[in-house]
Amino acid sequence: MNRRDFIKASLGIAAASMLPKALFGAEPEKVTGPVIAVARGTKSKLAKGALDLLGGMGKFVKPGDRVCIKPNISFAANSECGATTSADIARQVVQLCLDAGAARVVVFDHTIQEAALCVEQSGINAAVVDKEKVSLLTLTKERQFADTPIPGGKELKSAKVAKVVLESDKFINLPTAKSHSATGVSLGMKGLMGLIWDRGALHQMNLHQAIADLASVVKPDLTIVDATRALTSGGPGGPGKTVTLGMVIAGVDPVAVDSYAVGITQWYNKSFSGRSVKYIVAASELGLGEIDTAKMQIKEVKV
Amino acid sequence: MRWARQLALFVLFTVLFARTRYGIAPNLTDVFFRFDPLVFAVVSIATRTLVAAGLLSLVVVVATFLVGRFFCGHVCPLGTTIDLADAAFRRKSPRATNWRWGKFLILIFLLVSAALGASFVGFFDPLAILSRTFALVAFPVVTWFGGLVAGVRPAVFAETLLALATLVLILGLGLAAPRFWCRNLCPLGGLLGFISKFSLFKFSFRGDCKACGLCEKACPTGAVASEHRNVDAAECIGCLACLRACPDRTIRFGVRPAPQPVDVGRREAIVALGSALVAAPLARSIVHRKLQGRLLRPPGSVPEPDFLNACIHCGRCMKACPTNGLQPAILESGFDGLWTPRLVPRIGACEKNCNLCGQVCPTAAIRNLPLEEKTYARIGTAVIDRSRCLAWEQDRACLVCDEACPDNAIDSRNQTILGTTLGRPFVNEQACVGCGLCESRCPVEGPAAIQVFSMAADRRKTGWYKTPEKARLRSCGDQPQEDVPSGFIQGEN
Repeated sequence: MNRRDFIKASLGIAAASMLPKALFGAEPEKVTGPVIAVARGTKSKLAKGALDLLGGMGKFVKPGDRVCIKPNISFAANSECGATTSADIARQVVQLCLDAGAARVVVFDHTIQEAALCVEQSGINAAVVDKEKVSLLTLTKERQFADTPIPGGKELKSAKVAKVVLESDKFINLPTAKSHSATGVSLGMKGLMGLIWDRGALHQMNLHQAIADLASVVKPDLTIVDATRALTSGGPGGPGKTVTLGMVIAGVDPVAVDSYAVGITQWYNKSFSGRSVKYIVAASELGLGEIDTAKMQIKEVKV
Repeated sequence: MRWARQLALFVLFTVLFARTRYGIAPNLTDVFFRFDPLVFAVVSIATRTLVAAGLLSLVVVVATFLVGRFFCGHVCPLGTTIDLADAAFRRKSPRATNWRWGKFLILIFLLVSAALGASFVGFFDPLAILSRTFALVAFPVVTWFGGLVAGVRPAVFAETLLALATLVLILGLGLAAPRFWCRNLCPLGGLLGFISKFSLFKFSFRGDCKACGLCEKACPTGAVASEHRNVDAAECIGCLACLRACPDRTIRFGVRPAPQPVDVGRREAIVALGSALVAAPLARSIVHRKLQGRLLRPPGSVPEPDFLNACIHCGRCMKACPTNGLQPAILESGFDGLWTPRLVPRIGACEKNCNLCGQVCPTAAIRNLPLEEKTYARIGTAVIDRSRCLAWEQDRACLVCDEACPDNAIDSRNQTILGTTLGRPFVNEQACVGCGLCESRCPVEGPAAIQVFSMAADRRKTGWYKTPEKARLRSCGDQPQEDVPSGFIQGEN
């Protein structure tokens, strides 16, 4: 084959390979954004269902890891009321971590109401204490927190962050989907306020920006939203209207998870999206993640 | 043997005290108080109500009619504490002159003022004194060390020094004479001693007693007068030291039904009566209480005059309170209200799912309410100080009070002030029970921008607090529609 033939042949192959595109029109633009896993169905299988869509818990938790998990147990109330993370879901996530080989799992929160009562009434104590390698921790003292600068913060320049998070290998945020009288919704990033000592100070600034600032330094390895039911008004403490959704949503991108979760139900009897929640918009503007649900890879499963 | 029994009962008293904490049912932890006839008598008389739990104390009364004042020498944990202190600190020194009428004076004072409608028994009852010292002094100390080693939250109290001083004084008096408190001051000892004068069993001396005086020297309460061959039944605490001291075994304990003469001097009786006539009216003058809008009593507390009469300042409720919010009053409710419990929400609020204070109260000054009833027992009303509030004054998206409120008693309403529309808090007075969670969490520095006042407190002796109307305000399905929070960008979806 001489050079001329080679060029002809090459051009021919190239042309042939382009043919289908020319024939069948432009291929839809491939979505390459963050993966959002959504599991619906039997409550006892929801956490595993969602995690399997992300490649399994083993993708996040390696054998020997010290994992800390932060459910929202801020209120001394039965989790059916929607103000706290379902103890059942928390138990499933703990088990997934253990199955993935975690050396130590610490379930913790910095509760709003009295810690001893919150761990009992939310059912979290009963759900996790009987397991080996699992401990329950409530943050009640300033010395459990360490000063952490927030270099990119617009409002919040530094915060005392829970040492348990700083010292663990993996951090899983496990909020419950609920309304919030100040921020509109309380999901993953809002729940990060439970990681800092002086959260009252955030209310003396632009709260929405401060939440985003905080999210710029505390990045969960995984955010799992308990949306088995959502407290769609009366949040964060309830009582209010609860809507049964039977969902668990999981993802790595904290902005994407929150943004997606805003759209799963109405809040205060109105429809909103991630773009209509100030703290999520602020986090998106800091470049912390994807706010546009159209750019997310939504994977759904029925379990 | 007696020592072992005393120590065992002291340990039991301590263990029962320690078991008044959240998470375990405090059943029968007040059993010592139930056997205390002085508390039973004074509280029942002053409140004109039979304190049913105290009926057990009649067992002690009957037993004392049989064998005398054994309670003091064998049961009383303060007596044991005094014995321990005496053993540790007493040097051989002349015994003090005889002030044994003092305990009768205090007893008469307590009974007369109770009849006039004022109880002061909490200041003088030995069990209340010891329990209070445990609560306000020992508990903070123990939890402070617990905090060092085990992450326990140290308890703090507004008043500890006077409580400590009381015990130090009582123990210090032991330097003058052994069991100084028991023989000269304790009104419970006075009551049991008075009954002992009529007891069936008493001590007596055989005819061959040589009046050597060894028994008198051995007696820790000065009950034995060896030259008169007499044991004063009102003073004898049944320790049997005299029996052991007697070389000839001439002292006997047997049936001697004849009562001994009661020797309360007329002058002392007049002093006691006069003190009660002055103290009772002063204690019940309530002008200063009208000035105390922030005196919050625990949920289920009976109306204030009855509360002051029933409360024996034992400190158990304050020890049990899981938030440390129950604090000893100092002078907020008058001199006789010293060490009575008051809720200070800025320190700790009343937790909705806790009714421990009522469960541990030995005299039902705080009613033992079922948990649900307790959540409806209103202790006050939250009031917002808009000039200090971050949402009202500084346009901040705060509403932490709303977040903290377990009863949906804070409504966020969008209010436009100088062009800024923002959710700002309002108190729904119908739903508020005054638990103070809002006040405890308010992020404003110093005094909170929302504070609980005692107005509309529901204080009742009998009857229930929950009504269908109040229940409706809390039900999940029937909430008034809230304004859309300012955390949403309106029109953007």
